[in-house]
Amino acid sequence: MIEVAGLRVVLPPDVVAVDGVDLVIRPGEFVVILGRSGAGKTTFLRALNRLVEPTAGDVRVGGRAVTGADPATLRALRRQIGMVFQQFNLVRRASVLDNVLAGRLGWAPALPTLFGHFPAEDRRIALECLAQVGLADFAQRRADTLSGGEQQRVAIARALAQSPAVILADEPTASLDPALTGSIMDLLKTIRARRGLTLVVSQHQLETALAYATRVVGFRQGRVVFDGPPAALSPAVASTIYAEEPRRSPQGGHP
Amino acid sequence: MLAWTAWDTGADPARFARGVPWIVDFLRRMLPPDLRVLPAALVGAIKTLEIALLGTAVAAVLALPLGFLSARNVAAPPVFHPARAALNFFRSVDTLVYALVFVAAVGLGPFPGVLAVVAYTTTSLAKLYSEAIEGIERGPVDAITATGATRLQVLRFGVLPQVLPLFLSYVLYRLETNIRAATVLGFVGAGGIGFYLQTYLRMIDYPAASTVLLVTVLMVMVVDAVSSRLRARLV
Ligand SMILES: Nc1ncnc2c1ncn2[C@@H]1O[C@H](COP(=O)(O)OP(=O)(O)OP(=O)(O)O)[C@@H](O)[C@H]1O
Ligand SMILES: [Mg+2]
Repeated sequence: MIEVAGLRVVLPPDVVAVDGVDLVIRPGEFVVILGRSGAGKTTFLRALNRLVEPTAGDVRVGGRAVTGADPATLRALRRQIGMVFQQFNLVRRASVLDNVLAGRLGWAPALPTLFGHFPAEDRRIALECLAQVGLADFAQRRADTLSGGEQQRVAIARALAQSPAVILADEPTASLDPALTGSIMDLLKTIRARRGLTLVVSQHQLETALAYATRVVGFRQGRVVFDGPPAALSPAVASTIYAEEPRRSPQGGHP
Repeated sequence: MLAWTAWDTGADPARFARGVPWIVDFLRRMLPPDLRVLPAALVGAIKTLEIALLGTAVAAVLALPLGFLSARNVAAPPVFHPARAALNFFRSVDTLVYALVFVAAVGLGPFPGVLAVVAYTTTSLAKLYSEAIEGIERGPVDAITATGATRLQVLRFGVLPQVLPLFLSYVLYRLETNIRAATVLGFVGAGGIGFYLQTYLRMIDYPAASTVLLVTVLMVMVVDAVSSRLRARLV
């Protein structure tokens, strides 16, 4: 589903955030990317759909090259890749439904959408996705009137509305009350089961990773230091993932 | 420095004090206002309102592309830098100066007034727009980009909803200042209530001039009140 070869991302001024990652993610996997703060999880996920431009290496999704794709191809590929963010990233002043409808932008005819018009079929899909995350009654509410947990559900509905093959979720529970972590992870799990989606979720919580993942990929300083089923993640390996160590670059703001 | 400017401008409290009786006399001669010229004053006020409304509306739209082109986080540097420079240049010219130019170009009347308001307001709004655009949250823009949206769709769904309420509030604010600016456009022949004020002053018909002044003040106050109430609702 996702093939990553020799991926390297250097962020200005000279932070090596992803340092030569090779990874093949098969359809239907629930991959949890585990790593401490600054390990490069966010940068890795954002490089997969080129929200961050990779410095070197190849990314393929569904067999098609993301790296080097022209703008139209890149958009067609992005549309297959739903993305969920730590900060939800909803348009606060827009309604919940409008936020979810944005997930249809890659599919609906472009010109009418600029005037706010979406085909009835796209509206139907958006409402259905909203129902799937349990927020059917919230369609007309302004996004910023929802609680954090609800907003993240809306964001998941937006990603689902893309009818994606993959969902990338960057620490989807990190800015939520710990009590909500389970409900959001459960929702992702249910969606994966129902739709046969591939999930790549970053986490810094070990327990959550072990509870949900079919496969854990441990990141440390931009490199993969563990790759295997949760059962194979021994305490010794876990401690290498989390061990304290100064960054190679003095600019790498994390202590 | 200030002392020097005081000397150079001939600022002199004693000289001002000698002028006070003259001002008092002037005010006395303005009373009571001559209400027979009220219809003329109202016609002028409506013209002024029209100049400000039309000019501001046209400028609000023209400023949109300019605002986006001069926003650092939207436009590429080769576009952004010249656009920003052009804005700063044209923005430093006042509406009244534009009016002088347009009166010379298209003749007397409200039309050059409208053009002057458009010229000044477009650049000043574009500057305000671009600052609003530069202040947006990055997150929603990323999220919309990630859906596979085109650049225009990203602007429409990621940027516009964040900035539109600000834009509208800037437009209303500009409308307020433009009405004030438009009251004096008549002095240089660009139409509106200022024309009547100037005419009556020239004719030394102070009671008539005071009616015009009263109408002007009332008009500005009413527009300010309505507009600031609308603005308060936006944010
Ligand atoms: N915009 C940026 N410019 C420069 N360096 C950055 C930028 N974003 C992240 N970095 C650096 O890149 C490295 C990887 O950061 P990244 O955000 O990918 O880590 P992360 O694993 O997601 O961390 P966290 O758990 O804190 O979210 C860090 O050293 C970070 O300081
Ligand atoms: Mg992160």
